[in-house]
Amino acid sequence: MTDDQSLDLFEDAEPETTEPTPPEADVRVWSVSQVNRAVRSLLESSVDALWVAGEVTGWTRARSGHCYFTLKDDKAQMRCVMWASESRRLPVDPEEGMQVKLFGALTLYEARGAYQMSVQRVEADGGEGLWQIAFEKLRQKLETEGLLDAARKRPLPAYPSCVGVVTSPTGAALQDILTVLRRRAPWVRVVVAGSRVQGERASEEVARAIDSLGSSGLPDVVIVGRGGGSREDLWAFNEEPVARAIIRCPVPVVSAVGHEVDVTISDLVADLRAPTPSAAAEAVVPDRATLLEQIRVLPERLARGLRSTVQGRKRLLADRDDALGRSMRRRLEPARQSVDVTWTRLERALGSTLERRRQRLGALAGKLEALSPLATLERGYAVARTQEGALLNEVADFPAGRKFLLRVRDGSVECEAHERVNEG
Amino acid sequence: MTTERNSDDVGSDEVTLESRLERLEVILAKLETGEVELEEALTLFEEGVGHVRSAEGILSRTELKVEELLARGDTAELENENAG
Repeated sequence: MTDDQSLDLFEDAEPETTEPTPPEADVRVWSVSQVNRAVRSLLESSVDALWVAGEVTGWTRARSGHCYFTLKDDKAQMRCVMWASESRRLPVDPEEGMQVKLFGALTLYEARGAYQMSVQRVEADGGEGLWQIAFEKLRQKLETEGLLDAARKRPLPAYPSCVGVVTSPTGAALQDILTVLRRRAPWVRVVVAGSRVQGERASEEVARAIDSLGSSGLPDVVIVGRGGGSREDLWAFNEEPVARAIIRCPVPVVSAVGHEVDVTISDLVADLRAPTPSAAAEAVVPDRATLLEQIRVLPERLARGLRSTVQGRKRLLADRDDALGRSMRRRLEPARQSVDVTWTRLERALGSTLERRRQRLGALAGKLEALSPLATLERGYAVARTQEGALLNEVADFPAGRKFLLRVRDGSVECEAHERVNEG
Repeated sequence: MTTERNSDDVGSDEVTLESRLERLEVILAKLETGEVELEEALTLFEEGVGHVRSAEGILSRTELKVEELLARGDTAELENENAG
């Protein structure tokens, strides 16, 4: 380490004489402040910034953001300070006893006359140690609150009208997203809430952008992300403000930070993690060509539905018709039966009347026949009449020479009376 | 393209693609049971075809609208030199 490296810090500052001389009149007397200032400038000008390894103890972060702690090994310790401007960039404060490497410059705290290290960087052992620790801490915190549960993931809308994007307005990520949206779903409205995505306060800015998109009520889904970068560049997306903003966003959020290998806290709390901004855009909108294909078959389906409705109605109508017929017949049956009965009675009544008439007619006809003169003629009698038809039935009616007509069975004969014969 | 035929807004531009497609699903489900009244079936059919036409209209738009969210929820056209 630095043991063999001679620091010769006080070589020039060593007293000229080893013999202390009493302060006589013309000997210079220093004030404490002067000495400390001198030592400080000596220290600062003669020692370059350096890396020191050790164990962190007593880390305290003041309200101002300045951090004070001690770095020690088994034999010695040194006071350290990390000013707020530097400590702000720490993902998390080192824990007690943590092995770290510090980079910084030696200086002197004049008020106490104590030298200390002004620390610019802290690295936990194991490369990304502090980042990893910060990540794990927040992940565990959110997990304990149940915010990483798979059941919390909301489904993305199938056909969003408006897509919100939170990213740097000048970054490549925005262009990647717009390119995909333009190709797949140019009908959507895109609302961009620009934000710085790295550097100081980036996390708060991203969170604010998500919040304002959420409260605008415009987007149906929000993409939060940025293009690739170093772990430190992506760090805003591992911080609590972004995580909380994603969690409280009223519409589903797709997180797309860096490249496929970068997994951030924002990926974990988002409703969907996309490996890249382009992939996020692919995930939030349907593809126009596919959708058009699906839509174009719909009129045929509608027509089929209408046809089946018509047929269904027809069948129903036919069924109803049948039912109606049956019910009519059921209601007519008794009436028809009574008509039948009446008819039969009528027929019977009519029949007997006729019969009686016929019989009577027969009887009358018999009598009539009996009375008919034709029957007498049949029996051989004849009737004599004058030419004029007057009946001649006495001898006196026949003077000699009288002409008359004699009616016999099958006709009449002209006759002339010749001689009277009185017998009776 | 304003259709005054139905009191609802089949032809309106305000209706989102999503609600049109959802409505189409409902219409198809109703029609395909074959159990609605004939009059209603006809109305549904016409409404459905209207939605299909409007949806096609929406899908045929080619200009992506990109806006920037301003304070208090207003938006403005986003300057976009890299486009096209």
